[in-house]
Amino acid sequence: MNEHDKIRELLALAAADALTSAEEKQVAEHVRACIACSNELEAWRPIASELRRLPTPQPSSWLVQATLARAEAKFTEQAEHDWNHRLMIIVVAFAWLLTIASWAVFHVVSGRFERLLGPQFSHTWISFAAFTSLEWLAGGVAAVMLAIRQRGERRLV
Amino acid sequence: MAVDADVVRLRRGDLNALSELITRYQNRLYRYLLRIVRQPAEAEDLFQQTWLRVVEKIRSFDASRNFDAWLFTLARNLAIDHLRRIRPESLDEPLANSWHGESVADRISSKDHTPLDHALAAERRTEISEAMAGLPMIYREVLTLRFEDEMKIEEIAQVTAVPVSTAKSRLRRSLEQLRDALEARYPGGTWR
Repeated sequence: MNEHDKIRELLALAAADALTSAEEKQVAEHVRACIACSNELEAWRPIASELRRLPTPQPSSWLVQATLARAEAKFTEQAEHDWNHRLMIIVVAFAWLLTIASWAVFHVVSGRFERLLGPQFSHTWISFAAFTSLEWLAGGVAAVMLAIRQRGERRLV
Repeated sequence: MAVDADVVRLRRGDLNALSELITRYQNRLYRYLLRIVRQPAEAEDLFQQTWLRVVEKIRSFDASRNFDAWLFTLARNLAIDHLRRIRPESLDEPLANSWHGESVADRISSKDHTPLDHALAAERRTEISEAMAGLPMIYREVLTLRFEDEMKIEEIAQVTAVPVSTAKSRLRRSLEQLRDALEARYPGGTWR
């Protein structure tokens, strides 16, 4: 591709003011010497000029108000969701703390605290861990089932 | 107040900032969506969805980025999803009729002087509008971003998620197609 062809490809972009300064300089130098490219550039200018002056369609007057109302509702919903999420984390952490603490408290009350710190893993310990895991598993399954149901209901609404 | 300050306030949950941003961007965003989907009712629905998406995602918005580009990218993704769902063919195929939502008064620029100038200018813009509406979606989009929103090539590339060189060649092709369409409708340059 010779320089003339290269510049010709840039003329539409020149009318759109979308060239780099180096390209702009190249085009300006070339069109000064080339009548064909100068005419071609002039042919692009009215298109670019009219495109810049196209009327802006106006949205309906109620649109901004309706959008704000919906956004406000979304904001509230999101804030509530965030609050519930934080609350859930605190409740879960607290529940774990209670579960673990209850075992130690039980041993202190029954006077067998030193066994709790013993190196062997007693049968009671394993039973306790299994029982606790089962409880949490049941809680987790219930939470998932509730979430699925809630999502289904939301979809129906 | 600057857009940046409004964005910071919105991230803190200030609804007044949202109201200011919507008011500031309403014309540009609506026009962009209308140029893409071509139906006012669909553009209005997408306009609302875009702002809901802004509320949803504002916390993940990187404040060092350009808010304009981010907003238009959200709008674009929603519009493209919508077109894929409703009229997948419209992403490539041109449509014969022009877009709506403009009054006669809108079409007449105050820069034109005599009634004849008004009429001729309005006529030219209608011709350009109709030719532009007939172009494929990616070309309508790049033309509106460059000439109506006055975005730089780099910003257009960011919104349309393509390299700068692609955005540039897309702009060139869109202008060439527009010119071809005008010359096909009005042979001999009579549209001018």
